[in-house]
Amino acid sequence: MDLKKGDIPAEVRSWMGKQLFEQVPNNIVVIDRDFKVVIANDNFKTVFGDPDGRYCFEVYKGRKSVCEKCMAARTFEDGKVRVTDEVGIDKSGKPAHYVVHNAPVFNVSGEVAYVIEMSYDVTETRSLQKEYNILFERVPCYVSVINRDLKIVRANELLRRTFGETTGEYCYEVYKDRTERCTDCPAMKTFADGRSYSSRHTGVNKNGETTHYVVSTAPLSRSGGEFSHVIEMSVDVTDVHRLSEELEKEERFRRILIDNTLDALIAVDETGKVNIFNHAAERLFKVSRDDVIGKSRGRRFAPREFLDAMGEGGSSLSLPETTIKDSEGETIPVRFTGAVLRDRDAVIGGAAFFQDLRQIKQLEKDKLDNERLAAVGQTVAQLAHGIKNILTGLQGGMYVIKSGQKSGSTEKTEKGWKMLDRNVERITDLVKGFLSFSKGHTPEVQSVDPVSIASEVFNLYQDAAAQQNVTLRFQAQDDIADAYMDSEDIHTCLANLISNAIDACQTSESDSCTVTLSVQERDGTIIYEVVDTGCGMEYDIKNKVFTTFFTTKGLGGTGLGLMVTRKIVQEHGGRITVDSVPGEGSSFRIEFKRERLPQPEGQQKGEG
Amino acid sequence: MAKPEEKTILIVDDEEDVRDYLSTVLEDAGYNVVTAVDGNDAIEKLKQKVPDFISLDLVMPGKSGIKFLYEMRHNPDWAGIPFVIVTAHAHDDLGKEDLDDILSGKTFSGPSVYLEKPVKPEQYVKFISERLGVDIESEEGGQDEAELRDQLEQMLRGADSDALEKAIRALKNKK
Repeated sequence: MDLKKGDIPAEVRSWMGKQLFEQVPNNIVVIDRDFKVVIANDNFKTVFGDPDGRYCFEVYKGRKSVCEKCMAARTFEDGKVRVTDEVGIDKSGKPAHYVVHNAPVFNVSGEVAYVIEMSYDVTETRSLQKEYNILFERVPCYVSVINRDLKIVRANELLRRTFGETTGEYCYEVYKDRTERCTDCPAMKTFADGRSYSSRHTGVNKNGETTHYVVSTAPLSRSGGEFSHVIEMSVDVTDVHRLSEELEKEERFRRILIDNTLDALIAVDETGKVNIFNHAAERLFKVSRDDVIGKSRGRRFAPREFLDAMGEGGSSLSLPETTIKDSEGETIPVRFTGAVLRDRDAVIGGAAFFQDLRQIKQLEKDKLDNERLAAVGQTVAQLAHGIKNILTGLQGGMYVIKSGQKSGSTEKTEKGWKMLDRNVERITDLVKGFLSFSKGHTPEVQSVDPVSIASEVFNLYQDAAAQQNVTLRFQAQDDIADAYMDSEDIHTCLANLISNAIDACQTSESDSCTVTLSVQERDGTIIYEVVDTGCGMEYDIKNKVFTTFFTTKGLGGTGLGLMVTRKIVQEHGGRITVDSVPGEGSSFRIEFKRERLPQPEGQQKGEG
Repeated sequence: MAKPEEKTILIVDDEEDVRDYLSTVLEDAGYNVVTAVDGNDAIEKLKQKVPDFISLDLVMPGKSGIKFLYEMRHNPDWAGIPFVIVTAHAHDDLGKEDLDDILSGKTFSGPSVYLEKPVKPEQYVKFISERLGVDIESEEGGQDEAELRDQLEQMLRGADSDALEKAIRALKNKK
């Protein structure tokens, strides 16, 4: 049914007008030319109270006279509709913000008899606007409104502070110092489809430094579909970017380090899952990292001692020498360092380092072999000299006999025979000593107490020392563990040194000499020392004491003692040194590094 | 010509056998012989009587030959005593360094020669007699070929290799 204007009866229209007057969500008041309220709707009354018979300025603003720039007055004059912002007070005296429409009501003579004032409260809207503005200005990122030309129409405080006055400039000029628009412009995309976009961009700041942004764009919609502007928000993420780049670099560095270190490195998380298994570990265990990374197989690589120690609550363990088995079951000597990783009290994982000792072991063995070979070489050379000396004695003896016979001197002839006898004796001794020396036996090592060997030798020589009026002393550290040695060999060494020391005391001018035998351990090295307060040695003698057949005892010694001693020491992987001050005494020192001591038969592979 | 009976020779050696042998050789040649067991003993003997010649071993315990020489050269009364070094260690670690020092003139200037043990009796007597200007009647009546060869060999062994090379080159050029 069509309802035309003319169809509506007058009384219905009057009712509708009344209804409209009351129902519109505006405050409506009608004033006459004296600014007195003629009529007000219920909305108005609710806000400002009943205005009947009062002046509008009284009601709206609590004034006693007409407002200075009264809009209604002007409408009375020119009959035009006016819209203004007004600030007034509501009936409870609170300030209120209004948008006021003033519309004229003409009488039959065409004069403005009344003005209708329609106002609506925008207090709420205004404060929201203010808040949004603060947000726009103060949000800690660059916010700009740009138009379809990509020119900045409005910029927020941070943007203005950083880039100065930018209104009217192209956004790519401002953010990126470019002369043309970017290929990946998010604002363009938003303009194209009206959706929001967000992406990373690299630009320059006002100092020309590279700056990283995260840019978001959104259409600035005024009325429905049509929009002419885009709001662009950029956050400077340069610091974050730098941090993440540094982190990446750090990670790369760590990865290179882990992959290139010669030590095998395995790390597990708190559940035992392997998360690091480097190349060296692959080579050592003959296992591909793909087979273990991310799998709970960490424990199988750790030596038993480590697992035991960790089980007992330990946090780290170093094993200078232990063994592991590779995937083919071969036993490999390694140096091991392992640690449980804790963050405060919580276990966050574990790390283990393995140094393959095979090459080092081989080198050590080669070195020992070389030392032994060198000793053999020296020995041969020295043997030749020893024989030369005896030859001189034999030749001399023969000459003296001949000379005695020629001159008929029995005395001389006898002397010559004695010379021959002595030198034949020397040859016999030499050969005997040399045979025992050159047997080339590998020390028959057993686990023995290093202290008890020394104490045996000490007991053996006590009488001899006392007879020579020499004080023999013994000092031993009491916590030395057993070591692999040939006890007979070590006995021979110490006996040689002590017998030499006692002899040195006899040669000394002092008549109260002391010989001290001591045994101690320092940093895994067992040290025997024989110190005497005897005659001491000149520098050149000291340099020659370990040389074969060098004797200061005339015909009393073969010169083999110290050489045998040195040979034994070398066969045990040790070293012997001497220190001496003429007239004050000498000290011989034998050092055995535990790790260089020979291994007992059966534990040593490939030794004939 | 001086006579061996007028000369006294000091033999210094730590080995009794060597002392006995060398002294017998020299005594048989007519010389007076004094012996010392090492450098210290030798100094004592010098103090008692300055000998006409010294036969010196190098490697000895107590005071070595080279140390004795130093001390001898520092005393003006002894500095001029002629000597010969008799050693078994001319080419090994024990004596080479000392001997090279002496031979190169670093330690002692003037002609010094050494004999290497074992020493032949005739060679020993001849060497000392020549240095002392003593005429020795050779019992064998001259040197035989073998002896000459020995002597040459001995000299070659002591010669320095550069000089030898020069000599060989000179000989070649003559051809």
